[in-house]
Amino acid sequence: MILPPLQYLRPRSVPEAVDLLSRVDGSTVLAGGQTLINMLKLDLVAPAALVDVHRLDELRGIELDAAGTLVIGAAATYREIAESPLVREHQPAVSTMAGGLVDRQVRNRGTIGGNCCLNDPANNFPPLLTALRARFRSTGGPIGIRSAEDFFTGTLATALAPDELLTAVEIPALPAGTVVEHAHLQLAADSWAIARAVVRLDVSDDTVSDARVVLGAVLGSPLRLSAIERALVGRPVDATLPQAADEAGALPIDTVDDLHCSAGYRREMAHVQLRRALRAAVERSTDVDR
Amino acid sequence: MTAEQLTRPAATFTGRSVRRKEDDRLLKAQGEFGDDTPLARPGYLVFVRSPYASARITRIDTSRAAQVPGYLDALLPAEVEELTDPFMELQPPPGDAEVDRCLASNGVVRFVGEPVVAVVADSREAARDVAAAVVVDYEPLPHVVDARVAIEESAPLVHEQVGTNVAFEATYDWGDVDFALANADHVVEVDELHFHRFSSTPLECTAITAEYDAGTDSFTFTGGFATPQLAVLNLVGALRHPASRLRVVSKDFGGSFGVKINNHIPATAAGLLARRLGRPIRWTETRTEHHYAGGHGNERWFRNVKLAVQDDGTVLGVTYDALDDIGAYSRYEPLGAVIWTQVANACYQFKHVKVRYRSVYTNKGPVHPNRGYSRMQHMWLVERMMDLAARKLGFDPVAFRLQNYVQPEQYPYTTVNGCVYDSGDLPRSLRTALDLIDYTGARALQEQARGTGRRIGIGIGSTLDSGTNNFAQARLLNAHIPFSGNTEGGLVRIGADGSIYATTGGVAFGQGHETTVAQVVADLLGVTYDEVHVQRGSDSSLSAQTGFSGSYASQFAVTGIGAIRNAALKLVREVQLVAAATLGATPEEIELHGGTARVITDPERALPLAAVAGIVHFSPAELPPAVADEVGLVGRAVYRAPFELPDLERKYGNLTLTYATQVHACVLEIDEETGEVSILRYAAVDDCGTPINPMIIQGQVHGATAHGISAALFEHFGYDADGQLSAANFYDYHAATAADLPSFAYGNVVSPSPFTPIGAKGMGEGGGAPLHAICAGIQDAVGEDGIVLESFSPPERVLRLLRGHNLEKARVTR
Amino acid sequence: MSTDEDPHTITVSVDGQVEEAVVAPRTLLVHWLRDALDKRGPKIGCDTGNCGACTVVWDGLLVKSCMVLAAQVDGGSVRTAASLCGSDGTLNRLQQCFSEHHALQCGYCTSGMLMTAEDLLDSGDELTEAAVRRGLKGNICRCTGYHNIVKAIRAADGQDVDQDAGEHEG
Repeated sequence: MILPPLQYLRPRSVPEAVDLLSRVDGSTVLAGGQTLINMLKLDLVAPAALVDVHRLDELRGIELDAAGTLVIGAAATYREIAESPLVREHQPAVSTMAGGLVDRQVRNRGTIGGNCCLNDPANNFPPLLTALRARFRSTGGPIGIRSAEDFFTGTLATALAPDELLTAVEIPALPAGTVVEHAHLQLAADSWAIARAVVRLDVSDDTVSDARVVLGAVLGSPLRLSAIERALVGRPVDATLPQAADEAGALPIDTVDDLHCSAGYRREMAHVQLRRALRAAVERSTDVDR
Repeated sequence: MTAEQLTRPAATFTGRSVRRKEDDRLLKAQGEFGDDTPLARPGYLVFVRSPYASARITRIDTSRAAQVPGYLDALLPAEVEELTDPFMELQPPPGDAEVDRCLASNGVVRFVGEPVVAVVADSREAARDVAAAVVVDYEPLPHVVDARVAIEESAPLVHEQVGTNVAFEATYDWGDVDFALANADHVVEVDELHFHRFSSTPLECTAITAEYDAGTDSFTFTGGFATPQLAVLNLVGALRHPASRLRVVSKDFGGSFGVKINNHIPATAAGLLARRLGRPIRWTETRTEHHYAGGHGNERWFRNVKLAVQDDGTVLGVTYDALDDIGAYSRYEPLGAVIWTQVANACYQFKHVKVRYRSVYTNKGPVHPNRGYSRMQHMWLVERMMDLAARKLGFDPVAFRLQNYVQPEQYPYTTVNGCVYDSGDLPRSLRTALDLIDYTGARALQEQARGTGRRIGIGIGSTLDSGTNNFAQARLLNAHIPFSGNTEGGLVRIGADGSIYATTGGVAFGQGHETTVAQVVADLLGVTYDEVHVQRGSDSSLSAQTGFSGSYASQFAVTGIGAIRNAALKLVREVQLVAAATLGATPEEIELHGGTARVITDPERALPLAAVAGIVHFSPAELPPAVADEVGLVGRAVYRAPFELPDLERKYGNLTLTYATQVHACVLEIDEETGEVSILRYAAVDDCGTPINPMIIQGQVHGATAHGISAALFEHFGYDADGQLSAANFYDYHAATAADLPSFAYGNVVSPSPFTPIGAKGMGEGGGAPLHAICAGIQDAVGEDGIVLESFSPPERVLRLLRGHNLEKARVTR
Repeated sequence: MSTDEDPHTITVSVDGQVEEAVVAPRTLLVHWLRDALDKRGPKIGCDTGNCGACTVVWDGLLVKSCMVLAAQVDGGSVRTAASLCGSDGTLNRLQQCFSEHHALQCGYCTSGMLMTAEDLLDSGDELTEAAVRRGLKGNICRCTGYHNIVKAIRAADGQDVDQDAGEHEG
């Protein structure tokens, strides 16, 4: 419950933050603190210094650029994202999801950047952003922008170097007719995700022109199911579409038994949630048509 | 005023839902909980704990720790062995060879989280750093985490010197079960059922302050002590210090639900350090520590279960083998081995009950008497068997229960083992519960849902909340334990200014004692509720306590209130004496009304209570000597529950004074693809006799309901094969939030107890009704597809039930 | 304080009173409020940010003070449950409703619960039962079963709630 000894540093700008991260040994970014501070309480991590970025103006803010890409500052909170008219209009799946995360108190502090940089399989943002073809801007390293696939590298891992700071998440505009749906199984109203599936269908002429199918809550998540994505392209958007999940056979997912359930159940539930997400996407698409 | 009129006062406040006296300070954040008291020069205590389920301690090195800035002291196991005596063990040989101290004894740790070293520093941060610098080396030893394995010959021993992992064993045999099984029309058998390990996990973890005053050689312990005199007894024994110089105080107390009954254990370490350092010691338990070592509820295996049933649906009796997994140390156990027998019949007219019961050590967290303690487990088993038997034999679950319930006209009802169920109306409670969930409508809903991918199930959970123990039952465990009966204390006094002050021996942790005590005292003294001031919490130095004082076992409405009534009545008598002498009447002609003592036949002749106090305190020469000698305006009294010693040979006799009833009903929906359970409707009907404050009663029912639902669906203290606890904090152990629970429909039946002063019964624990109801509801939803034999139903298990889980474990053998 | 840490001087308005203090970087806001200022509203009930007993308002936002460092609130303002009642100690409407509807038993969760309830009431959202229950997700209670808490909040919102627990007298 009591934290290990550490330094608390509050830079006044992003360049200063990056400078601290590179100069101070054992420093790490403190954004919303909704996970990091708990890890510190439980002695799971012991960084020498926390570099607090949560109030840096350059990292907040939600804008739409000329191409219709939504640019969300890495330190934008779940609540800011949920209540942003821009997000509601241009990426409604993101605002809906953000508005339901955890609880009121956590939504005032948790950030999209913190959520993504942690990349806990239980997290909601990584699979959704992967389905939305999000890009991740950063500073302090050789690569300034990465695709979701390049950014998320494995369980609790991202491509960010220790001195690198995530600055923004870009979400490209959705073509007309695109539907995004997600389905998940959580063991209680605010609790451990057992399975999560996000489906994004780009639709034209009632046919799937492109698809993203991404799983959360598995090892290595967010996990794109490329084979299913390919199987969906060209198919009609109708009640037969969810069968694509079954036709793909066993999903290539890696998971383990844990205190909440067995690996077998997780695998089966991933399948169930995928089917449900596909069904919801079909319904949403046909509703939109009407 | 006749004695009759005296004992039944005008109920102006009793029976009403008056707002609570506690609320004001709690709403304003002015309560004083265990970690709130500001301290001068505190030493903060942190325990260094075992990461192993079973290990030998090979080395303890505090040299680095002693260098940490802020370090004050470290207490080691060897010192504890030298300075303290082991805590009292209740069980007879060989179990009494168990050794239990505040730090691991005899060089061995027996569960993950067991305290090994206690360090103190001058700040919370320093204490953490000191603890982190303590080095302890261990040599892991074989361990056992399953009670079924622990009883086998080859199992590693949790306590070497006990020679067995069976801490206690008894066979209870009433009626003639073998005859019943041989001759009944039907026998329903189940191989094994499991009641899982969980706990009420009160929101406030324990926080204890230990102070030692060298001048008076006395200790004061402040914190949540649910049974203060037992805590004193235990501390006195451990610290080798007289009770006359040991005080235990509780102020505001954030929930106990039974698990905090053993707080004397960490308090012992704090006491030793307080004395050695000459400064107050504060220990603040973390959530993680509480989950490891703060006490779990009884986990129980039921094996070889048989129910004997007649063609007409009469259930003759039940038999089973019980393995109660009590964890690494017994403490309040193995009282659980006896306490369940208070409800041997559960809600039913059984004539034959036979149970072989073993309390079994495992290398897991010790069991403390969690809400519903030990009775809930047995009643869950019975309710499951009744439910299964009805299903297997083709009886309607409602009719089957109604028929077998103890009937209203049978009270007081003597059970197979001589316990006396005081009153109740189970059929009415059940009908009320079914009305509240719209049973007919729910059955229709169930039909409509078929084939839609959802299943609806309706579950009934009948249970009893036995209250006010006869502590003689401890002799059934061990004939040498010199306990019997039950008493509680109370004190009511009138101050020099006429103000009224009451103290109870009970220990409130949310049940509103200040309120209910004030209601009763106000009515007896003829004053307003607002004029009665009630001591917050408890204080062992204040003469209101008896040996069994405290809050546990659903008893305050009987024992605590009973003592307060007796105390108030003494005070009434004294006021009458003074008023009579002053007003020129006889004491019997005086009544207390409207804040005065007045002549019944001539109410104008009256003396305000303040005047009575003024005379007694400041002008006693005005009184006749006989009156002045008798009156002090302090009424101290005891309520003694009417009990006798049971027949130890036959294990027969009344063990509890009152039996409140809970009948719950639920409508559940199951997702056939995932096994997720949602509650569509939930109703709780309680019957706790004459109500003192209906609002408080309903609040207790809600709380017990939430605890039970959460335990049934979300909460589990699971241990892996290495003896590691998998739900060691609130992230992994899910205590239901408001978003997980529905609103509850509530019903109330009033069957006054013939055995208590005002007909009230203790209540609050709740008897685990939601666990019984939810299991029955899930069973109803899965129908013939699976059999519910576990009290914990996470979605994966429910899915397995839909696919044939446990089918081979239950059968009708005749 | 450990020598690794540089202490921070902070100036914070707490419940309307300006406080200046020197804190260790690792000191949690909840500990500073409680230990340095004897603020008993924010309490500690867990160590994973789940229970909400520590809930306060920081710069207008409802937060769990166990996941904020005291150093972070420098220059800001913090409100705890002690700020809810009038300066003469009268309970505000929400607090009255809590008492009237028996929305507290042991009282340990109550301060945090009140802060969250106030936030819900101020949000302007429609406070259906479902919305209130979702809103309380971050505050655990082990005594009341939440039923009466939900009622009390809706009553404070001016809704007509059942008085089925019997009459309520002061």
